[in-house]
Amino acid sequence: MIEGEDVVKQYETGGQILTALKGIDFSVEPGDFVAIMGPSGSGKSTLLNILGLLDVPTEGTVRLDGEDVTDHTDKQRTLIRKQTIGFVFQQFYLLPTLTAQENVEVPRLFDDDEGISERAIDLLERVGLGDRLDHRPNELSGGQKQRVAIARSLINQPRIVLADEPTGNLDLDTGKQILDEFQNVTERDVAVIAVTHDELVTEYTDRTVNLIDGGIR
Amino acid sequence: MMERLYKRFPALLMARRNITRTKVRSVLAGLGIVIGVIAIASLGMFGVSLKYQLSQNLGDIGNQVIVTPAGDEGVQEITRRDVQRIERASTSSTVVPVKQRVDPISFDGRGSPTHELVSGMSHPAKTYTASEGRIPDPLRSGAVIGSDVAEEHDLRPGSTITVNNSTVRVKAVLESRDGFGFASPNNKIILPASSFADSGYDQVIITADSGTAANQSARAIRGDLNERRKRVNVQELGSIVDQINSAFSAVNTFLIGIGSISLLVAGVSILNVMLMSTVERREEIGVLRAVGYQKTDVLKIMLTEAVLLGIFGGLVGVVLSIGAGLAINHYVVNDVMATFRLQNMLYVVLAFGFGVITALVSGFYPAWKAANERPVEALRS
Repeated sequence: MIEGEDVVKQYETGGQILTALKGIDFSVEPGDFVAIMGPSGSGKSTLLNILGLLDVPTEGTVRLDGEDVTDHTDKQRTLIRKQTIGFVFQQFYLLPTLTAQENVEVPRLFDDDEGISERAIDLLERVGLGDRLDHRPNELSGGQKQRVAIARSLINQPRIVLADEPTGNLDLDTGKQILDEFQNVTERDVAVIAVTHDELVTEYTDRTVNLIDGGIR
Repeated sequence: MMERLYKRFPALLMARRNITRTKVRSVLAGLGIVIGVIAIASLGMFGVSLKYQLSQNLGDIGNQVIVTPAGDEGVQEITRRDVQRIERASTSSTVVPVKQRVDPISFDGRGSPTHELVSGMSHPAKTYTASEGRIPDPLRSGAVIGSDVAEEHDLRPGSTITVNNSTVRVKAVLESRDGFGFASPNNKIILPASSFADSGYDQVIITADSGTAANQSARAIRGDLNERRKRVNVQELGSIVDQINSAFSAVNTFLIGIGSISLLVAGVSILNVMLMSTVERREEIGVLRAVGYQKTDVLKIMLTEAVLLGIFGGLVGVVLSIGAGLAINHYVVNDVMATFRLQNMLYVVLAFGFGVITALVSGFYPAWKAANERPVEALRS
């Protein structure tokens, strides 16, 4: 469904060229739960950003359903992100001014969408937060915030959810709950790619990709 | 209702929540706009009131034209023939020729006389009205005096004054009029024209029905008498009123310019507040971009924030300026309702508009900056 072919990413810092990814081939099919593991600086986040169309590779190709999206404009990539990709972050990144339900609705706020409230409530109920709809993020625990974030990543009915250290800020039990949620998500044919340090994640994933020094081992 | 509005304009919901997030900061940024709007609106209204007050004072002499001999061309007097030509040129207006000289006058019959300007007119009743006594028409004997002269020397009809060593009885005191300078009747001392030896005149006062008619007469007189050689100076009070008006417009523009500086400062403070908030909300904006917000959506949210600040600041400013306007009009024009005259309201609307536009313009750079931040950079933890 989404695939990267011979993806190279180089950064220029202080006149030096730093190669974060050294020609990576990667692909994910619907319903896959994939973990990308590796030490800091191994290029995991870079790979995630490229697969999430937040960043473009220096060389190589990114294809979505066989279509080359590497050279799409910012506007096109933004549209594809909206239609196909959900994001979950380590720091949750909920908007502190909005309630749980509004946070879930955020990605569709600018669309004239009649059923949006119902869908948001339904998603929050699915992640077990049906009684927290009007709570602001500061009234929620870390696990609850991450579940709101998962509900938010699903509001656009994406086919891929990208998670950057989704359990990084959570204790063991809460982490497990979150991973259960991701597993539920994959059962609906949504692919989940999680970048993580957390060995626990691998117990839930279908496969694990180890990135070291910009290459897959 | 708000629910529907937010559904319709989602940027409004986000913007409003963001503004209330840092209440004190937003209020301070809005305060700049409040001050700017008050400065522009109340300075504007102050100018309007002053102008209104002045033109009210000048209003009743705006229909007069004064013709004097062109002294700089060596013309010493206006002849009888000139007066006839003036009469012909200014149809349907009252033409009153005046002689003038300085006479020693004693008002109480004792003490040394003072030298005063005395006018000689045969028909003062044509231009002036009496508040006490009656002005004989034509004036053959006695004197008619202005209200200030009467008040200063405690004179009334029947009193006597000594002019040139001969005693003259006061026949009437002229009605006091607002006005200034040579046109004011308040300090006139009028004697019969026949008591003046020379046959020419020093001044001709033409009183028309309206300012426009006065202007026509003035042009006709200039055209006729000054055609070949400049013989007379023609002064229209109406044109002086116009000059004062235009001077006031300039002053007003200047005042509003000063007021605008305070709006400029307000704009800088909004720019500052918005820049700070884009830096603080960098990640949030990054998330919005990640979940599919286009640059223009982010721009919309940020600009809405700026405009909301402008609108709230502007509305408070408008309320306070109307308060200031009520005070200004109470003290300057003595008519509180004059605040709601169209011209004043235009200034209020103008100030409000400037306030909102200032906020919009200053919000633009921070909004543009926020919208163009790359989400990858913003989300790098």
